[in-house]
Amino acid sequence: MLQPTQLNLKHEFDADRMRHYLNGQLSVLHCHHYASLYTQLAIDAKETDLLAGVAEETFAGVLTDYFQKNDTESLDDRVAAACDYFAAVGLGKMSVAYLGNDSGQIVLEESHVDKGWMKKWGQFDAPVNHIGRGYIAGMFSAIWGKPLRTYQVRETESIVMGAEKSCFKVYKD
Amino acid sequence: MTTTMTTNVNRPKIIEDMSKIQVVGDERGLIEGFNVFVQQLPARFWNSFADRLVNKVEPAVVEATEYLLVNAAHECGYHTGYGIITSQEWQAVVQPMVKEVPEDILHGAFAVFTAWGWAKSEIVELVPGEKMVVRAYDYYEADVVEHGTSNRPAAYMIRGVCAAFMDLAYGGDYDPTGKTGLHTFQCEQTRGIECGDDYGEFVVTRA
Repeated sequence: MLQPTQLNLKHEFDADRMRHYLNGQLSVLHCHHYASLYTQLAIDAKETDLLAGVAEETFAGVLTDYFQKNDTESLDDRVAAACDYFAAVGLGKMSVAYLGNDSGQIVLEESHVDKGWMKKWGQFDAPVNHIGRGYIAGMFSAIWGKPLRTYQVRETESIVMGAEKSCFKVYKD
Repeated sequence: MTTTMTTNVNRPKIIEDMSKIQVVGDERGLIEGFNVFVQQLPARFWNSFADRLVNKVEPAVVEATEYLLVNAAHECGYHTGYGIITSQEWQAVVQPMVKEVPEDILHGAFAVFTAWGWAKSEIVELVPGEKMVVRAYDYYEADVVEHGTSNRPAAYMIRGVCAAFMDLAYGGDYDPTGKTGLHTFQCEQTRGIECGDDYGEFVVTRA
């Protein structure tokens, strides 16, 4: 059982430009309507991989930066920090069933994207958490220090489809 | 009648108080507030997806894609905006300043919009029930251009939220289903920092 780290979160406000920064990253609050409609747009445009890819790049960068600035060296600490960050920004409750260099399995007991979609439209007949699978791919790259697109992520169970939890398989091609 | 932008709300005070907001996920990793689920993600995530999608799709569907990006913010601004103006935070900070309804509420809403980092923006012209012009002097959506200028404005989020705030002000009672009240106004972006202008300008009129 991994012991969670105490995530270091530093919030700064630039009163001149009226911008908020979280750990040095320009950050914005948005609601589930926004996330749901972006996701729906990606689905309609058949660009869910683009949405996931942007999430992968974004969060790989965020986590790599965090690991460097906080001297997060051990695997356990990196995994815990990645899960804690996911929760801190409101994306949900994540746990790592297992993680290896070539594969892994991730469980979401709670998911902003799924809960938000259901609050707006109800259940859906396919996974919608492309932001989450992008986060997971970026998280694996950051934890192992691998290039982007090293890991593929497939959602195998989805809260939005009626499952109790969302599950993701991670693998290398 | 065009109001000369006098308002009863103390914009600097609202910004000072509301900009102190700091949110973090609860034990479920969720942030609930204003009747919605909230997340706080890096701005470049939203910018990057919108920018890449608009530049990737066929020219024939660029406008439709942009409409959907604006609509995401329009619905977000309508529902979350209503949640904000009925929240405890609003009641504590802004509501005591509100004398003229809904005009003071609109000015207060843009002060909050500024304080919470969406855009450093204010209303510069308001024809009650008909038209509003907003200027944004700094906004994250302009960050898609880092050198040179684009010939296409990209502040989809601000466009949607400006229209949504006019829906809330003059579009009738709030409708949680969004079937009425929403989309009674539309917004066009007439200037943009990303296009080389000193500020972004947003003109909202009846749909």
